[in-house]
Amino acid sequence: MALNGDEEDFEWEPPSEAEMKVIQARRERQDKISKLMGDYLLKGYKMLGECCDVCGTILLQDKQQKNYCVSCQELDSDIDKDNPALNAQAALSQVRERQLAAQSPPPTQAAQLNGGASSSQSGGSVPQPRPEHCEGAAAGGRALLPPPAVPPPPAPAPTATLAPIRPPVPPPSSALRPVLQEAEEAVLTKLRWATTQLQSSASLEVSTQLCGLITSCANSLRSLKELSQ
Amino acid sequence: MAGSPAACRIPTTSWSRTAGGRGATEKKKSLLIDRLMKSISNVDILELAAVYEFHGEGMTSVEHLHLKHVLQTVCALEAVVLRSFGPDGGQVLFTRSTGQAMLSRSGTQILKALHLEHPLARVVVDCVCKHSAVTGDGSKTFVLLLASLLRMIHASASKAPIVSECSKSTEAAAARRLADKLLAFATSELADLISVSVVPRGFCVSAEDFTTKTQPPARPSDFRIQTLLSSFFHTRLDSVHCGFLSDLACELLTRWKFQNDKLSFFLQFLSDNFPALHTQVSGFPVSSSRLIEGQVIHRDFSTPCLQVHKQPVRAAVFTEHLQPTILHQSYVLELRCGGRVTGEESIVPFSARTERSLESVIATLQSFGVSLLLCAVKQSTAVLALAARAEMCLVECVSEDELSLFVRLSGVTPISDCWRIQPENIATLTFCRAILLGAHRYVHVAFCDSSGVKPCSLVICAPGEAQTDQCTSAFQDAVRVLLTMWEPVSTTEATTLKNPVQPHEGTSLHAHCPTGNAAYRSDTCALKPGCVIPAGGTFEFLLHHGLTQHSRSHSASSCTNLGVNVCQILANTLLSVPRQIYSHHPKRFLQAQTRITSLISDRSRPFMAFKNVANEDPDRGDTPSKRFMLDLGLESISCKYQLLLAVLQCATSLLRVDAMVRTHTALCSPSHKLTNISEESTDDETED
Repeated sequence: MALNGDEEDFEWEPPSEAEMKVIQARRERQDKISKLMGDYLLKGYKMLGECCDVCGTILLQDKQQKNYCVSCQELDSDIDKDNPALNAQAALSQVRERQLAAQSPPPTQAAQLNGGASSSQSGGSVPQPRPEHCEGAAAGGRALLPPPAVPPPPAPAPTATLAPIRPPVPPPSSALRPVLQEAEEAVLTKLRWATTQLQSSASLEVSTQLCGLITSCANSLRSLKELSQ
Repeated sequence: MAGSPAACRIPTTSWSRTAGGRGATEKKKSLLIDRLMKSISNVDILELAAVYEFHGEGMTSVEHLHLKHVLQTVCALEAVVLRSFGPDGGQVLFTRSTGQAMLSRSGTQILKALHLEHPLARVVVDCVCKHSAVTGDGSKTFVLLLASLLRMIHASASKAPIVSECSKSTEAAAARRLADKLLAFATSELADLISVSVVPRGFCVSAEDFTTKTQPPARPSDFRIQTLLSSFFHTRLDSVHCGFLSDLACELLTRWKFQNDKLSFFLQFLSDNFPALHTQVSGFPVSSSRLIEGQVIHRDFSTPCLQVHKQPVRAAVFTEHLQPTILHQSYVLELRCGGRVTGEESIVPFSARTERSLESVIATLQSFGVSLLLCAVKQSTAVLALAARAEMCLVECVSEDELSLFVRLSGVTPISDCWRIQPENIATLTFCRAILLGAHRYVHVAFCDSSGVKPCSLVICAPGEAQTDQCTSAFQDAVRVLLTMWEPVSTTEATTLKNPVQPHEGTSLHAHCPTGNAAYRSDTCALKPGCVIPAGGTFEFLLHHGLTQHSRSHSASSCTNLGVNVCQILANTLLSVPRQIYSHHPKRFLQAQTRITSLISDRSRPFMAFKNVANEDPDRGDTPSKRFMLDLGLESISCKYQLLLAVLQCATSLLRVDAMVRTHTALCSPSHKLTNISEESTDDETED
């Protein structure tokens, strides 16, 4: 075979740390898939000779002749977790990145917002918040998580854009307005982005999720407007 | 059921190697199919990798396989058997829609009970079943080793330089080469390596070791078959009954051992006749299993058994009907008398004539003193009546296995022609009586003592039917394990690659092996029969150590294109077995590994002297390490070696499969295998 010629051009180098993490994650995912498939086989599912179109995993068929793909329907998708439309974390990190790149205005003191989540992140004084906080906030709607680094004032934790908005109880103070304006801008940016994505999207699921995002952005804007009045 | 239409697509990327670009055209598809079909007709069916014919919709389609599909299939099967693996593994309870339950810890039974339509999965299960049919054990270890081997091969092959479009085919080719190298190494050097690094740490068990707890061993450090069987039953049944059942098995073997005969001969006899030699009884505790003298025929008497005390009992075996069977329903009988068809009233003299001939047969039997008739078929009512009147016991519809065993043990020939009954057709039995086992009544016969063999039959009791089946299959596999342990191992490449072993050819192949080896090599049996080693991963640790040292010493010469060491891959694969055994206690894995490594380096005093029962054993007494080893149980080295070879051959053949051809057929029959070839049309073996 003419493969020896190829090998002379390339030298195998050990993978970098990032690549190792990716390889490790992939291996764990494959192990999970195998374990789930083994469980289903023992439950009486049939292993078919076909593969899933989306992810390439072997399909299983239950007793009602329905095909079932273990990785698509049970595990979180490998690539979807980086898609901002489908994942809160990815969306949040994208917004954050954009804000950092745009060199946002000096940090403002933000009063504590009562009740649940605000619809977007506050000023850029917050050093890169970690996804773990976002996850916690997105999952439980917890109010505030102070960031680990030491900024002078504890700032409200950033939260997911998809989290439902609860109307804040205390009347708005003057210090709140710039925060609200920034929040509005961020939501509008997200809305614009979602619209462009929706126009170009071909998949049904992605479109549905984008519409959901647009709805929640609109709701957030409404609440922000109420807040500022 | 038909596959979904989407599966008929041909993945476009896989054509890049042959077509040189994306997008396969119809012409190229049909070209490949033509080539495949032509080659199938030219090559011998037996020597090719197998692919299974299964349902497809629409036109014939070819699906190329990638390494990750192979890996995913085998890993899924591994996940299935993993939970039952090892002495601490669990049992799997299968229930059918009919309500019938099956309880199993045997890898073969679990895998066979799964619904698998994927051809690769079925190839793997087939390999496992064939291996298990020969050796009796090791099916879960097989899948475990196969999965970890394929993972290692995949990891090594993916280190190959990635050229964007051809990455998958490069990977597949690299994996194939690696597998071939592994197999070549295993067939040529592995046996020597085992005999150097593992066998000196083990010991030989000879046939005189059939001691049970009723006969205390001569020395406390006597390693017995009992320990081996006990550890086997522990992995197959449970820890509560393994001791009792292994004692029972030892007793069975002791009583069946033909004196002055080769060990493997009587084990083969036991293995072949096991269905006729055991009775399953449900509803009793396992501890009421026992041995019964003689043979149990699993039928009841058709005529009342009146005489019990007349000894010795004479018996005759009939294979045909005593009364001609022409007087059955739906037969039209034409009676001719001198060329003219006689009327209906002549049926009466005809039947009277047949009855008179029957009476004469019975009278002949009575003159020989026969009181037991064993028949393979159902006799007519006239025969039953006459036999009852003559005070003969009649047993009908005896199965073929049992009849052949009876004939073998009593040394008579069955009567095929009722008019010629000779003295050699009459058997002499010690007794014949009815026996009540569980809910059934059977016929119990005992033979006069001949050639020192005391035939006995096994009664296996268990609380439920599923458990009796489990115990029975465990016993059967135990006999096969012992048979494999005492067979001389064939180690030449010629033998392993060229002779496909079918289960029924087992004995003939083993008979050929020594002669074949003797011409090929001077030391034929590097792995002497009867070698055992403590269980619990000892074999794997020792061989791992040996392989690592071997790879270090040959590091200069064993360079491959990928810079991967074949020995190292094999060594790492082996460690997956003890890792899984100690998966619940990771600390014990490290403890065991360090203990064995330290004992290896302690050369001044070998922890296991290679000893034979006949040799003088310098009695050093039981060192703590020896006692530790004893607690783990024993396993046979030749079984392990054959397992490794089988795993490597299966991996090689899996990686050689290049494409799945989906054909449009009406029936999907699992026994009908079509062959598929890789694009190189290599010969290969799916079984050792």
